[in-house]
Amino acid sequence: MTERISQSGVQLKPVYGPDDLQEWKPDEQLGDPGVFPYTRGVHAHPEDRGGWIQRELSGEGDPARSNAQFKYLLSKGQTGLDVIGDTPTMACLDPDHPFAVHAVGTQGVSLCRLDDYRELYKDLPLDEITLSHSLQPAFAIAGLYCVAKERGVSPANLRGSVLQVPFYCEDTGYALHMPFDLRLRLSVDSIAFCSEEMPRFHSFLEDTYYISDGGLDAVEEMALGFVEIRGIVRALLERGVAIDTFAPRIAILVNCRMDFFEEIAKIRATRRLFARMMRDEFGARDPRSLAVNIAAHTSGLSLTAQQPVNNVMRGTTQALSLALASAQAIEVSTFDEAYRIPSPEAHMVGLRTQQVIQMETGVTRVADPLGGSYYVESLTDEMEQRIEERMLQIEATGDADHLCETGWFRQIFQQAMERHGRELQDGTLRKVGVNEHVIPEDEDVLLRDVAEGKIEPFRERIDAIREHRTQRDVGRTKSALESLHASASDRDANLMGDVVTATQAGATMGEMAGVLRMAYGQPSDPFGMLEDPI
Amino acid sequence: MADVRRPIRVLIGILGLDQHEVGAMVVARLLRDAGMEVVYLGRFNLPDDIAKAAAEEGVDVVGLSCHSWEYLHFLGPLQAALREYALDLPIVVGGSVVTAEDARAIQAKGVAAAFGPTTPSAEIVATIQRLVGEPAE
Repeated sequence: MTERISQSGVQLKPVYGPDDLQEWKPDEQLGDPGVFPYTRGVHAHPEDRGGWIQRELSGEGDPARSNAQFKYLLSKGQTGLDVIGDTPTMACLDPDHPFAVHAVGTQGVSLCRLDDYRELYKDLPLDEITLSHSLQPAFAIAGLYCVAKERGVSPANLRGSVLQVPFYCEDTGYALHMPFDLRLRLSVDSIAFCSEEMPRFHSFLEDTYYISDGGLDAVEEMALGFVEIRGIVRALLERGVAIDTFAPRIAILVNCRMDFFEEIAKIRATRRLFARMMRDEFGARDPRSLAVNIAAHTSGLSLTAQQPVNNVMRGTTQALSLALASAQAIEVSTFDEAYRIPSPEAHMVGLRTQQVIQMETGVTRVADPLGGSYYVESLTDEMEQRIEERMLQIEATGDADHLCETGWFRQIFQQAMERHGRELQDGTLRKVGVNEHVIPEDEDVLLRDVAEGKIEPFRERIDAIREHRTQRDVGRTKSALESLHASASDRDANLMGDVVTATQAGATMGEMAGVLRMAYGQPSDPFGMLEDPI
Repeated sequence: MADVRRPIRVLIGILGLDQHEVGAMVVARLLRDAGMEVVYLGRFNLPDDIAKAAAEEGVDVVGLSCHSWEYLHFLGPLQAALREYALDLPIVVGGSVVTAEDARAIQAKGVAAAFGPTTPSAEIVATIQRLVGEPAE
């Protein structure tokens, strides 16, 4: 007999019918699209609003090369941008750090100073497109804010997002080598800053994608995501920021794996849980505070190095499930994901995948087309219950800072990684081309040449940054960094004003991060190889 | 040649700023399940960190998990660092980014074995056993 268990472990029936929804109260649990509890989506007629934002994760090399990449994608019909930093940028290290030299620009764009943001956004209509940032929030917001002001664009008109990852970044893929308190503060201060200066910008993008793509299941993903959202919300409220000033700009960037209906149910359950939590627990009153935007990446972990063309089908299936779940922004992880950041060819396939689904299938003509399905509604209820239970269980285990610092969260991620590896090995997780229908390597050639292309490190960036350090107004930079250190040492101040000033004074991100670490009693350079910036 | 009465000791580390750890952990588990001892160095190592740990821990094999191209630039310095510690240890490289062409190129430069994303688990275990002179089971 076939085992019917979803990827996160929900025991399923062979078929669902009216009996499964006997206790179900559609008025409370479903509502209408665009109406509390937003199970069916946050807009009544998403298609009339132009459908979801279509974008592909981009950024490579130096800012100028990334800018050209943006223009290429926009020229092919992309409707928003999402930029990710290279590994040094994500770790707040400048390109000339000894750890950074071989990774400059190879897995994202290298950004560390105001000139870089000027190049990155050059000629782009900043107030006409949405600019999503997979970057360190405080520094990316400062860069965007400064460039907008210089170009006469009101920051109040900027739309887009930046991800906030204070709880789990050290244990997953975005280690900043900063203590918990400082990471949380950078989130709180940047969100508080945007609630006043950039009120249309989603400065509070909870990113459950990156934490889960090591192998967490859908329940673990959202439970940990809600733990982080609630932690940041509480910290903002403690800071005296009113809930309805920032909650309308909370969004969640979720993962989308291959378990088609479970992922749809997860998203519907997430919107409902969020709406109830914001209303009942945090006292939000603005309807926009209750309706959470869902953006999604299709899972990179679900893709395989074997037979890269199979990944095109995976991306298509995942993007379809996201469209059916009324996601508001979609990025398809590209077929060459196992090897590299997206090639131009793979970018085009990812974008065309979305366009074909939206324009040719008609799946979004009707809002929430799966609403009322015996199976989908039952699974949505089940996922909501499991996510909430797990979330409360984690919160009952201890304070987040304690769980972070003692490695409690880390063991969750480690166990998930090991579980994923084991399931692939033993075939519990069926994967075409890996543990089923394997073909010999010499037959596995389709799209290989594209997938295996490499990007050389942008070493010229290293020289450019070294030169920048000597050519700027050194006194002005130092004084701005000292001021940042002073405000960081005052735990009640908002850092953002000084981050903006230091950015304008030519300070690099590595220097600013170093000064912040010093104010929190840490070495300025986590690897102990650089001199203190002040 | 390793003393067959004690388990094979394998260092597993990741170089530079590569933060993808799934592969390293999966292989660490695989080798432990095969009866080997794993010295797990994790993320954020420069060549000298790897060589120093290899010397201190008395490992038989140095294993590098690679999910960014940084390893291609770090291999030469790592070989030099091992020589400085007077260590003549096989270096084994594995990861999603290691293509067949990369494997040939780095083996020509003295890397003992290179595993791409399609290498079967049993082959990884058997190769490491062979490299330390232990008969495969």
